[in-house]
Amino acid sequence: MKQSLLAVALFAAAAAQAAEEPEFDASQFEKKPFEIGGYVQLKQESFALNQDGAFYKLGFHNRPQRESLDRTTGTLQLAGKARYGIGTFDFRTDSELMRDQLAHDHQTKIFEAAYAVRPTPGLSMEAGKRALKWGKGYAWNPIGFVERPKDPNDPALAREGFVIADADWISSPGANLQTIAFTPVLLPVSSDVNSDFGEPGHLNPAAKLYLLYRDTDIDLAWQGKGSRPARFGLDFSKNLASNFEVHGEWARILQLQRPVTDSAGNVTIETANATSYLLGLRYLTASETTYIAEYYRNGTGYSEDEFDQFYQLVDNAFATGNNALVQKALSLSQSYGRPNAGQDYLYFRAQVKDALGIVYFSPAVTAMVNLQDGSYQVTPELQYTGIKNFELRARLFLLEGGSGTEFGEKLAGRRLELYARYYF
Amino acid sequence: MKKLLGLLLFFAALPAAHALDGAQILQKVDRNLEPETYESYRQLTDIQPDGSKKVSVLYTMKKGRDKVVALFLAPASDKGRVTLRLDENMWLYIPEVGRAIRVTSLQSVTGSVFNNADILRIDYTAEYDVEAAEEQKDAYLLSLKAKTGEVAYDRLKMWVDKQALLPVTIEAYAASGLLLKTLRFSSVKDFGGGIKRPATLETDSPLYKGYKSVMQWSGLKKREFPDEIFTLNYLPRVQELRK
Repeated sequence: MKQSLLAVALFAAAAAQAAEEPEFDASQFEKKPFEIGGYVQLKQESFALNQDGAFYKLGFHNRPQRESLDRTTGTLQLAGKARYGIGTFDFRTDSELMRDQLAHDHQTKIFEAAYAVRPTPGLSMEAGKRALKWGKGYAWNPIGFVERPKDPNDPALAREGFVIADADWISSPGANLQTIAFTPVLLPVSSDVNSDFGEPGHLNPAAKLYLLYRDTDIDLAWQGKGSRPARFGLDFSKNLASNFEVHGEWARILQLQRPVTDSAGNVTIETANATSYLLGLRYLTASETTYIAEYYRNGTGYSEDEFDQFYQLVDNAFATGNNALVQKALSLSQSYGRPNAGQDYLYFRAQVKDALGIVYFSPAVTAMVNLQDGSYQVTPELQYTGIKNFELRARLFLLEGGSGTEFGEKLAGRRLELYARYYF
Repeated sequence: MKKLLGLLLFFAALPAAHALDGAQILQKVDRNLEPETYESYRQLTDIQPDGSKKVSVLYTMKKGRDKVVALFLAPASDKGRVTLRLDENMWLYIPEVGRAIRVTSLQSVTGSVFNNADILRIDYTAEYDVEAAEEQKDAYLLSLKAKTGEVAYDRLKMWVDKQALLPVTIEAYAASGLLLKTLRFSSVKDFGGGIKRPATLETDSPLYKGYKSVMQWSGLKKREFPDEIFTLNYLPRVQELRK
């Protein structure tokens, strides 16, 4: 009887509450032949420069010395789509206007612009500029063979693609093999097209085979020898529990060449096979804190000893004022100074959803550690998305490590970043 | 004596013949709520204690008992995001990121009281067994137990309208017995094609005091889809399926 009364009460309560929201009419959301959207962003960065760091000395060589730098960057990112018949053209452009006390600059890049035809649901073919994203890693992707490197400080950021022709064939056989998909890719390189991919004069083939087998995502990836050395690899991702995911990647690059210097500036090109791999996990607690942890072994990176030699070269160059050595160090800085140029890294991120009882407020902390030299970067972060179509974020990058370490020799020891982004 | 025994057996069997078949009721609830394969538009309104609202619009496709895709059409900050569910596997595709990542059923891609399991709901019969069914004045009360530990809610109490065989209220519980949320269906509407079901679902949770979320349906109709669209590779082009 008690439960019957409860049921009647619940019926009545539901009926009363139904009247609060106006009826939803979906007609305004019908598909249109042309769509455009994107975001505008204003970013303010303050750098506390690390005047003892090797990359500060190289970056500020023959320039007025500074202790700090403030930079303002405005960004407009446009994404659009036009449909006609079985074909679709889509694009994403990125325009930036940047100003700091040393320079001002502006540039517009076409991140993606491709035309695709889909004769059947299981087959798609496209040509144009496309940013393919291969791999399961959050901060790094050893099997990202045909893409520009991800910034581990901003893994979700859109990136510029390459001009390619690719296809996608999908099948769902059922049973244990729930999905199989094959993605062949052709990537031309000439002096005008994809020139930063590698040696010109090659039509580079690559392919990825995706399987969803027994609830596990598996990718097998390959890129043939051409503008870059041949490489192959695989990845996987699986939920061990509904709130606990594990993932991994493994890649092998054949006959990779990399410049290695000694402290006197004698550069040798070493050629060897390189193996990179990554193991990671993502865990969500009952209180909706997400933990991400990854270990990354970078087979293309430099060891602690190799870094030492480079830093000694920079010290020698500036101690002696030898301009030839400075120029040599500058030419090597692209290789030694690229993000995560070391060999062993640990990445950790914890993000709390709706912290302090504030909905859409998500504080986070991210740490990246170079396990060989012990240097690290810690980044506390505050994010708020409670205003319609706005994203507000503040981050403070704290780099520690001392002399002769990766994060201790960076250009800036501290960086405060604030941005407001409006989506339209 | 034989006649007496027969009579006794007849009366003994009577309660069984009239016993509620909870599993059958749940199957009917599933089919009355939605055809097995359909498309629909949904609006999710998240209401904060101060009355401010966040509205999301999703286009949803479902096939069979356990395949669901939902594409975000609004707000602009979420437009183009796609969530895919294959049985207990769930992924989120974000256009800027360019690839799908695994998400869990307890998370909410919208920041709503509705979590991913609510937004990408598959058939109740696919996830729950009926432990008990009880007839009340206007409703059947079904006590449901999750078939596996992967299901978002360990137990459900579902009050089902006796005439329409549609759910009216569902209470969702954790394995600890904690009430996680209450879901209330209302505004029964004729969507055409023989689909007459609640057009509104409202939820609140003791874990989010003062907050509530409302889900409203529009354009719900039967539509057949190939299996290939319920795959990771298809997610970037899901929106091309809309008519």
